[in-house]
Amino acid sequence: MAAPRLAHAATPIGIGVIIPLSGGAGRQGQDVANAVQCMATLINDAGGVLGRRLELLIRDDESTPAIGVAKANELASAGVAVVLEGWNSPVTLAMQPILARADVLDITMISKADPILASAANPLAIRLNSANAQDAKVIADYLKSRMNAGRLVFVTENDAYGNGAQHGIEEETKRLGLSYDIVKTLKFPFPQTDFRVEVTSIHDAKPDAVIVIDANEGAGLPAFLQQYVQARIDAPLICTVGTVSPSVIETAGAAANGLISADIYFPETEPFASNRENQRFVAQMQKQFKTMPDKYMALGAAALQVWAKAAAKVGSLDRKAVAEAIRGQDIPGTIFGDVRFSADGQMAHHYAIFTVRAGKIVVAG
Amino acid sequence: MKTLPAPLRFFSIAALALLGFFLPRLLGGSSHAYDTFGMIATFSAMSYGLDIILSDLGEISLAHSAFFATGAYAAAILSVHYGQGAWVALAGAVLAALALALVLGMITLRTREFAFSLVTYAAAVVCMNIAANWDFLGGSDGIVGIPPLTLSLGSASFTASQPRQFWPFAYVLLLLTLYVVHRFRRSRLGQAALMVHMNPRLASMCGLAGNRVRLLVFLVSAPISALAGWLYAFQRAYVGTDLFDTYFLVLMLTGVILAGRRLLLGPLLGTALLVGQKSFFSLGAYGDKLILGTVLVGILCFCPKGLANLWRRRSHAAVEK
Repeated sequence: MAAPRLAHAATPIGIGVIIPLSGGAGRQGQDVANAVQCMATLINDAGGVLGRRLELLIRDDESTPAIGVAKANELASAGVAVVLEGWNSPVTLAMQPILARADVLDITMISKADPILASAANPLAIRLNSANAQDAKVIADYLKSRMNAGRLVFVTENDAYGNGAQHGIEEETKRLGLSYDIVKTLKFPFPQTDFRVEVTSIHDAKPDAVIVIDANEGAGLPAFLQQYVQARIDAPLICTVGTVSPSVIETAGAAANGLISADIYFPETEPFASNRENQRFVAQMQKQFKTMPDKYMALGAAALQVWAKAAAKVGSLDRKAVAEAIRGQDIPGTIFGDVRFSADGQMAHHYAIFTVRAGKIVVAG
Repeated sequence: MKTLPAPLRFFSIAALALLGFFLPRLLGGSSHAYDTFGMIATFSAMSYGLDIILSDLGEISLAHSAFFATGAYAAAILSVHYGQGAWVALAGAVLAALALALVLGMITLRTREFAFSLVTYAAAVVCMNIAANWDFLGGSDGIVGIPPLTLSLGSASFTASQPRQFWPFAYVLLLLTLYVVHRFRRSRLGQAALMVHMNPRLASMCGLAGNRVRLLVFLVSAPISALAGWLYAFQRAYVGTDLFDTYFLVLMLTGVILAGRRLLLGPLLGTALLVGQKSFFSLGAYGDKLILGTVLVGILCFCPKGLANLWRRRSHAAVEK
C-alpha cells in the first residue's frame, strides 16, 4: 500500500497522447485514448512509475500533419516524458522529427509506414503495431493457401501507409513465386467514402480476389464494404491486416460478413484469453468504459505499459535510456504477453486469419 | 487624416517591429508560445502571396498551396538529396516557384473569376498527384530527414532546430514580406494591377497590357508563398503531400478575408486570429471548425470587407457624431 500512496504524493509524470479524436478516425482514436487512460489507471493503482502518478495530456491531431506538428510542439513544451502517437502515417512522419529535436521519447502506437522506423530523423523510433512488411507476408501466405495464380485487384489508400502495404504484398507474392495478374490498382484519398466508381471498375475487371487497403475505419472502409456488397461482386474481399476493427463490422453491418482479414489481437481467444495482464486490462476497460477492447485499444494501452516497464527497469525517464531498454529487448508481462522488440524498435507479433460471420469475428484455427 | 512626420513614422514602425519580436517572451516565453508565433509568422507570409492575387488582381487563386508546397519540396530535395545549404535551398525554392508560376500564369492568362479559380485548383490537384506518385519527390512517403536550418552571413552562422530558435527567422521573413507587399502596392506594377482589376477598359486605354500585368503579379506572388514553404520545411523537418491539402489553402483564404482585403496587416491579423485561437483557446476540432464557419459566414454576410471595416465604420460614426 505504501507505493500507491507515494505515487499520489509526488509530482505526476506527464504522458502525451496525440491521436485523431475527430473526423473519419475520430471514434477509433477516442477508443485508443480511453485505453491509454485505462492503462494509466492500472499503473497508478499499482503505484505509478518511479513512485510518481501518470497524468495524461491527450491531444487531437485531426488526421492533419500540420496540426500534429503543432500538438507535438505543445506537448514537448509542457515537458511530457513520452508521447504516444500515431494513427495516420503522414502525421507520425511529421511529428517524429519535432519530438526527436525536443528530446522527447516518441512511441508510435498504430501508424504503419516503413519510413517511421527507418528515418534518420528519429534514431530512437519504437512502434507497437505490426509493420507493413510483416502484414504483407501474412496476406501473401493466405493468398498462396487459396490460389497460386489469378487476377487481383488492389483498392489502395494513396498515402505512405497504403502504397507501402501494397508494395509489400506485391513483393511477398513475387518472393513466394505466385503468378498473379494485377488487373487493376485503384487508388483513393484517405477521406473518400464514395467508392461507386471504383466498385464498378472492380466489377468490370472480373477479379479472383480483391485486396482493399483502407485505414479509414470510421467511414471509408464501412462505406466501401456496403458499396461492394451492393454491386454484387463475387470475388472474395481481403482487407489488409488490422483494418477491420469491431467498430468497422458494427458500422458496415451485414456488408462485413464474408470478408477475410488477419490481425494480432483477439481479447477472448488464446493466447490472450489466459494472459493475466490482458485479463486485467479487459476487466478494467469493461469497468471504466464498458467496452471490450479491440486491437487498437490494446496497442495504445500496451504502448504505455511497455514504456512504464522500461522506465521502471532503468530507473529513469531519460529518453535514450528508456528507448534502449525497449529497442532490441524483451519486455515480459504485457497485454500481448512477453514481447520482443527488434533492434530498429519494431514489436514482433503473432497473427491469426479471420473472417466475419453474422457480424462476429471468427478466427481460423 | 493626419500622417506622422517621416522620422517619427519610421521610429514608430521600428518600435512596433521590436515589440512584435518580443511578444512570445512577453506571453510567457514557453516553447509553445514561440512555436505558435513562429507559425503565425510563417503562415502569414504564406498568405501574403495569395493576398496580392486576391486583393490587387481581384482573382481567387486556389494554387497558392502548390507554391507553398513547391518551396518546401525544393528546400527538402536540395538539403536532403543534394546536401545543399539553406541559402541554395532558398534560391531553389524561389526559382521552382517562379517556374511553376510562369507555367500557371501562361495557362490562366485568359481565364477570369470562376474559370480562373477552377483552373488554379485543378493545377494544385495535379501538382499534389505528381508529388504523391513521383519517387524523386518522395512519393506518398514524402521526404524525411531535413536538417536544422543553418544560415551563414559572412563569418556568422545561425542555426535553428527548436521553436525558440526558429522565431527570429520566421519574424524576419514576415517583416521582409510586409516590406515587399508594401513596396509592391506603391510600385507601378501594383498600381497597374489595381487598374487592371478595377477598370480593365481604362487600363487598356492607358496602354496597359492586362495579360502581361497579370502574369507579372503572379510571378511576384508565387515566391512569397514559396519562401514561407522553404522555412516551414526546415521547421517541420519533413515534407509530404499534405502540404497541398486544403488545410493550408483554407488557412490562406480565411487569413486574407478575415481582416479585410488590401490591408497591409490584414493577412497577419487574420492568420494570428486563426492560429492563436487554435493554439491557445481551442474548443476541440469540431468546436474550432464551428467557430471558424460561423465567423466566416458572419463576415461574408454582414461585413464582406472584413473585420477591419467594422473598426472603420465605428471611427466614421464617431467622427459624424
